[in-house]
Amino acid sequence: MGKISSNRKGIFFTFIAITIISIFILVSTPQSDISLQKDTKAVSARINSIDSYIDDLQSRYFETVLRATTYKTLLSLVFYMNATTSYLTDLDSNFQEVAINGTINKVQIDSITNKKIMENNTLINWSNKIVQTAQDTLNVNTTITINNVSVFQTKPWNVDASLSIDISVKSNVAEWHKKNVTITTTMSIEGLHDPYYLVNTNGDYTNQIKRSSVEFNKWNITFVREHLRNGTYVHWENSEAPNFLMRFTNTITNSSCCGIESLVDPNKISSPDRIESYVDYLFWSHTFQNQCTKLYNITKPPSNPGLWDEFRYFKLDTERVIIYNITSQDTVRTC
Amino acid sequence: MLTKKRGYFFALDAVLALFVLIIGVFLVASSYIEVPQSAQVSLLSDDLMNFLSETKIKNLNNAFAGIGGTLWLNGTITDADNSLLQQIGEFYAAKNFDTAATFVQNVSENIIPKQFLYEVWVNNTIIYPKEPSAEHNRSKNSTALLLTSKKIAFGLINKTTSNVWGPYKSEVFVWER
Repeated sequence: MGKISSNRKGIFFTFIAITIISIFILVSTPQSDISLQKDTKAVSARINSIDSYIDDLQSRYFETVLRATTYKTLLSLVFYMNATTSYLTDLDSNFQEVAINGTINKVQIDSITNKKIMENNTLINWSNKIVQTAQDTLNVNTTITINNVSVFQTKPWNVDASLSIDISVKSNVAEWHKKNVTITTTMSIEGLHDPYYLVNTNGDYTNQIKRSSVEFNKWNITFVREHLRNGTYVHWENSEAPNFLMRFTNTITNSSCCGIESLVDPNKISSPDRIESYVDYLFWSHTFQNQCTKLYNITKPPSNPGLWDEFRYFKLDTERVIIYNITSQDTVRTC
Repeated sequence: MLTKKRGYFFALDAVLALFVLIIGVFLVASSYIEVPQSAQVSLLSDDLMNFLSETKIKNLNNAFAGIGGTLWLNGTITDADNSLLQQIGEFYAAKNFDTAATFVQNVSENIIPKQFLYEVWVNNTIIYPKEPSAEHNRSKNSTALLLTSKKIAFGLINKTTSNVWGPYKSEVFVWER
């Protein structure tokens, strides 16, 4: 009986040893845990990388592309107006068609302007390029739908553009869907040709937008001469002038936030001696036509030539004579 | 007396077996020592790509590539708001490959430890090193672990005329010598 009991005790110890070893092995085996962690990390890294791509897409890529396309579209529309010597009927619709497709009334605008401005530069082109590059780089399938693009002004020297798109990105780990993402950008109008001059002179007189550096309370006859010479533009507070975009459609009404005006150089137009105020929008809208009692010649013969030594026949209306601070020493009533 | 000694024998046997297994598990687990190294290479490639894509020229203190540096003074770099990756892409778009290679070399100096080698590619073209040595290529081909980080690069060549370059696939490869 004593022998059997000791043998049983041996088995008991063996079982204890096997149990301890089993627990130890179970606790210290990291295999399954590490594998899961590795997969989670890989998926997390991939999701982060695609997140970053989508963030770049909406906050940087399309902002850059929208700015470039807005500039090129406005430039194309100016050349289009120069080629057709006519105003646009609907700037929003024309802008959208050119920016998205590169066409105007379903005709390639480059073929009308004879300039390769929109070729490979439309919003569709740039969308296709990023879709292809994202496929090559990140192995994701991107779908971009352009809903709407528009242009407007809130400041006299800048144009704002707004783009609405839907983005869908599919990868092997997840899908992203974003509806009505709005991207906005702002670009300067300086350097662009004023379409109002081009249409009114059949392309003979071109004037590029350049902001005058003269402060509103510093004007005098000397600065007006420089203003005329350089073809610069000025924005007056509560302006009665049209803004840059209104000049595409011959909408000559006031834009108090953003109206800009320049002075017409009599040397650059046919029939320089006209009974008009030579402020661009007043001149071509004939606001003071034949109202010589409301106009002043900017000269005081015989002693003082005013501006007529360089800009003969140049005239301004009473309000402009005051705001440009031209004194009676340099002016005489037109009649 | 004899039965008690047998009990100790089994206990001793179990303890010895436990030691043998501990050593075995330790040896198996020691093979995982390589894991941290791969993580480090992975971090290095991501770090280098993040450094290039998130650091702007205006925030770079570098006598060659920063504001007031050689490339800034000679007019090669004009936009301080460009990230380093955008600047490399701009050089690529302008086919200015020599400057791109020197630029990468200058800005990435001391970013990657000496025991690692790396390459920067834009649009499937190697930018740095411009002409890899035979040793460089041999090392790349024989490495057990070659890791890459990718980003899409794009930008404006000229802000006035709004000419866009890109989008280009940009890649960084890092491996141990």
